[in-house]
Amino acid sequence: MTDIVKDKKIVAVKGTSLWKDGLRRLARRKFAMVCLVIILAYFAVTAFVYVAEFFDWQPGPVMWTEEVGPSYQPPDVKYIFGTDIFGQSVLRKTIYGAKTSVTVALCASLISILIGVPLGAIAGYFRGVVDEIIVWIYSTLSSIPYILLILAFAVVLRDKTLFGLRLTGMTTVYLAIGLTSWVGICRLIRGEIIKHKDREYVLAARSYGSSNARIIFKQLLPNVFHLVIIDFSLRFVSFIHAEVILSFLGLGEADKPSWGAMINDARIELARGVWWQMAAATVAIFFISLALNIFGDALRDSLDPKLRMQ
Amino acid sequence: MSDTDKYMLEVNDLRTYFPVKKGLFRRTIGYVKAVDGVSFKIEKGQTLGLVGESGCGKTTAARSIIRLIQATSGKVIFDGTDVFSADKQSLKQIRKDMSIVFQDPYGSLNPRMTVGDIIADPLKVNKKLSSSQLTEKVIDLLRKVGLSEIYMNRYPHEFSGGQRQRVGLARALALEPKLVICDEPVSALDVSIQSQILNLLKDMQDELGLTYLFIAHDLAVVEFLCDIVAVMYMGQIVEKATSEQLYKKPLHPYTRLLMSAIPKVDTSARYAKKSKIKGELTDRGQLPKGCSFAPRCPLAEGICIQKKPDLEEKQPEHTVACWKCQKMLDLNGEI
Repeated sequence: MTDIVKDKKIVAVKGTSLWKDGLRRLARRKFAMVCLVIILAYFAVTAFVYVAEFFDWQPGPVMWTEEVGPSYQPPDVKYIFGTDIFGQSVLRKTIYGAKTSVTVALCASLISILIGVPLGAIAGYFRGVVDEIIVWIYSTLSSIPYILLILAFAVVLRDKTLFGLRLTGMTTVYLAIGLTSWVGICRLIRGEIIKHKDREYVLAARSYGSSNARIIFKQLLPNVFHLVIIDFSLRFVSFIHAEVILSFLGLGEADKPSWGAMINDARIELARGVWWQMAAATVAIFFISLALNIFGDALRDSLDPKLRMQ
Repeated sequence: MSDTDKYMLEVNDLRTYFPVKKGLFRRTIGYVKAVDGVSFKIEKGQTLGLVGESGCGKTTAARSIIRLIQATSGKVIFDGTDVFSADKQSLKQIRKDMSIVFQDPYGSLNPRMTVGDIIADPLKVNKKLSSSQLTEKVIDLLRKVGLSEIYMNRYPHEFSGGQRQRVGLARALALEPKLVICDEPVSALDVSIQSQILNLLKDMQDELGLTYLFIAHDLAVVEFLCDIVAVMYMGQIVEKATSEQLYKKPLHPYTRLLMSAIPKVDTSARYAKKSKIKGELTDRGQLPKGCSFAPRCPLAEGICIQKKPDLEEKQPEHTVACWKCQKMLDLNGEI
């Protein structure tokens, strides 16, 4: 619409959308921005590992299999996080582990959003029988202890083929997490849609003949989408944790490093005083968890339209 | 002129009941009769005011007419078409010809859409226009309601209440409707802004030949705009007359109560004395057997509690549902 306005030589004042306003307020929070940089650093490392693997580069950090020194070398200037039993660099393994964790958390989040948001929107908008069926499904799902459910899914999905693709370690993990954890976002969206669907702007849209699909996509979802973003940032943490737990329990990536597998290895090593593998993985998890939590809270505070004008 | 040509909207015995559900199995244990047998007609180009206190069913009636709420029974004829039995095609036409302006200028505009998009949305849904035609139309509408087109890319939260109500009106006018239902369009606004919006509504009516169904709880507002006024109480119309007649000589004690609520600066004015009528709406679940106003009415006697009065034409073009309206006439409004 803007360009036509220009053609007609009318200078239309640009408005500030709630998104723009929210992001501006987010940008004012210094600490949240520091956290964002940390999060982006993790993503950048992941992207770097992917790119390097794809083009078959062999830069140091990706070559985690390389023997760099003696076995169980404690951390010093040369080996920042020390070495493991095979003399592999723990630092490189930690960096490679970021790829596993971020990929799993990202894919699991996308799966749970893709399932949860449409189901929640349909349940909340149409109510009635559809709503009851969806609520029944997610109530059943959420009544099963979470870790057990993920474990069950992971065991079932492991080494199966789906659409001709063999499900390997990492894929199993994010499918298992994604398929079990859409309940939270579904419930959130359903509640929010119920709140919005009788607002006057929705009634107005119905009064001039908008279809249900149009009302959901054009009127309702834009008004609840900030919740998806906020939920995404907070859920990301729990997915990273879930991946660590699954890897620790031996259901994750079998032959590539991940933070969970590192902690699992460290279980035995700790008794021998080899603490650095555990420490490296924990520190890596700690920083992204903390950054995501703080950033998620900041997102919530700045994207919520009700807290505007503060 | 035949009957259907004369009237834009005919509402016949409209009833909207909401079931009251209770218990584990959500059994229906009763009904709230939000609208309980409302009938009126609006001539083309005229304005009918629907007045009553909060919760008397005005909004439900309006939303039932435009099919935002499913009515329980009754008949609504809009410009010759039966609204409730309309098929998909004619409903589409009805949706174009009938529009609604809402009460809350904050809630009735989508906060995530620009004002231009909000006004363009009815056009996008119902007409196939190129984007330049659309922009032209939006600019035209904005000008019509007294807003500058330079604001079309702004969002609702960047406007004041009065401006938003103008946007709401522009959206309602986008499809060039014949009937606009105004659901308390000014009650959420400052008094100074109220008059601006009312004047705008009047101008639009003169310019576009609109018919209004104007809902309000404030008789002062209605007097200015309406040709005919219907007073609603507990889901029913208790008095209906031309605006002039109603203000000169209200025949129902409830109308008198509403009149006394109009603030007056001059104490010698028409109904300066404060009404003795007290109390609030009784429980909607269990309506009294007789006149629904009887529990609050100072004139109520045996018959009022026993038997429900029908809406009767007591004076030319002045119908009222009250056993005591003769007494009201004798008292000349002094109760």
